[in-house]
Amino acid sequence: MIGELIDGPLWYIASGTFLLGVVWRLFSILRVGVAQDFAPPKGNGPAGAVRTVFSRFLPRHPVVTRGRLQLIAGYMFHLGLFALLFFARPHVDFIAERITGTEWAVLPHWGFIIASEIAFAGLIMLWLHRLLHPVTRLLSSADDYIGTVLVFLVMLTGCLALAQSFEPLRLLHLFLAELLLIYFPFSNLMHAFTFIISRGYTGATMARKGVNA
Amino acid sequence: MTGFFSPPPLKGILSLLLVMLLLPAFPSFGATADLEQSVQPIQIPNPASDLWREVRQRDAAMTGSTQALGVDGGVLINPTGEKWRQFRMQQLLPYGGYALGAVVLILLLFYTLRGRVPIKAGMSDKKLFRYSVYERMIHWFMALIFLFLAFSGLILLFGRSLLLPLMGPALFSLLASASKEGHNLFGPLFALALVLIFFRFVRRNIYQKGDLTWLLRGGGVIGKKHVPSNFFNMGEKSLFWLLVFVGGAIAASGFFLLFPVFGQGRVVMELSHVVHGIGALLMLSVIIGHIYIGTIGMEGAIEGMKSGYCDLNWAREHHDWWAEKCEQRGEVLDRDQPISARGADALGTPSGQMSEEAGK
Repeated sequence: MIGELIDGPLWYIASGTFLLGVVWRLFSILRVGVAQDFAPPKGNGPAGAVRTVFSRFLPRHPVVTRGRLQLIAGYMFHLGLFALLFFARPHVDFIAERITGTEWAVLPHWGFIIASEIAFAGLIMLWLHRLLHPVTRLLSSADDYIGTVLVFLVMLTGCLALAQSFEPLRLLHLFLAELLLIYFPFSNLMHAFTFIISRGYTGATMARKGVNA
Repeated sequence: MTGFFSPPPLKGILSLLLVMLLLPAFPSFGATADLEQSVQPIQIPNPASDLWREVRQRDAAMTGSTQALGVDGGVLINPTGEKWRQFRMQQLLPYGGYALGAVVLILLLFYTLRGRVPIKAGMSDKKLFRYSVYERMIHWFMALIFLFLAFSGLILLFGRSLLLPLMGPALFSLLASASKEGHNLFGPLFALALVLIFFRFVRRNIYQKGDLTWLLRGGGVIGKKHVPSNFFNMGEKSLFWLLVFVGGAIAASGFFLLFPVFGQGRVVMELSHVVHGIGALLMLSVIIGHIYIGTIGMEGAIEGMKSGYCDLNWAREHHDWWAEKCEQRGEVLDRDQPISARGADALGTPSGQMSEEAGK
């Protein structure tokens, strides 16, 4: 009964909420628009936007020296999670069956395991940094902790269900993933999409002013 | 033709008479069993017994030839497997359980008798910088991973004896499978944490003058005299080296068990399991003591790992040589003083390291 609910209606509710929520959040940000800049532009705004979106993947010197740990842990977590989410065999099978209808290249099992190790190490490090660093502790809200805990639990239950022999473990993993999908659009986890807008806006504004952002 | 009632044949009557005459000459029927025992059976060699003796190999490491690929492919029966099984069931499980129980009981008894070790001079309004954010991070990283591995490992080791009767096979098999997967996945993270801990803390854990005195006085438990200590005392240093060596053995044996693709045979796997089990139980027993001291056992002990700063009076009472150096260097801070850049800097230079260097 609960299994059918998790596998059926709750999955559709969660994915629908995620999709509509993300679209709504992005639309509300874009709808605000940008105040018109009457000054003659000193550079190409759109080019600056595109450049900044990509150039910010490379950290600047002060970040490398003073934020080395967050930088390494951040990349470990995000790359590991990306590989897990889109290139792990069980996920590709699930997405192909329920959404895309087609499969793509997957990681070998050992690659999947290494990606999980990297993602877990990065996430735990970032979580501890948030808790232990006096500045990030002050800056963090309940939203940050809920997001982190949810992502951690989804990853953990996924790892516990790796044997793929017990239906309750798979359902627990799916249930937590559904909770995460519902929570996602209304939280700071939206940075997965909004980082492009944020970097693009900064890059375009600075390029118009002739500043190297 | 013979009728319904025909006379018995003469041959039959004669036979019966002969039996009756000769019967007393033979032993009674009750003595037949004795007769069978006294008669030696004819020794007919069973070709199968020799075959299976060879197959079982006794204690010899004999292998046959086979087309099956893989390590130990030529071994039909591994005799050391039975030894390993008996060790696991008859020694590791019961004695390991008793050892863990004994540690908990001793700590409970110690707490009941001695109570929480207080800061005798009370909490001061001064503090000392003790651990950077990075040091606290890798400590708690190790702690989280260790606890997860400990719980999942205990379920795998003792679950069948303790949990299966309570939970039933369906729920327990689910829990055991989840524990196994989790244990295997988090195992390599323990090795990572061990490497990070080693490189960060090794310099301050090298034994030095005064450490032996600390040990001989049981860290202050034996006698009433104050026992001076450095940034880390002898107990903490020993815990560090135990973590490095025993933890290293646990990690190495775990890799052997987790990745059976490097040519290790069953015997190596069994030995790895023994090392892994004994090492883990030993480490867990010591870490239970470490957790006790850090939480309910001693006032102010956990502060350094929580905020990065420790109380000045606590430092004077437990790490007085280090506290003295910090005071000489003017590193004493007011309790309300905002956290310094060093405390906030994730990879900041540890205070102890600076003080140790200054002391040279």
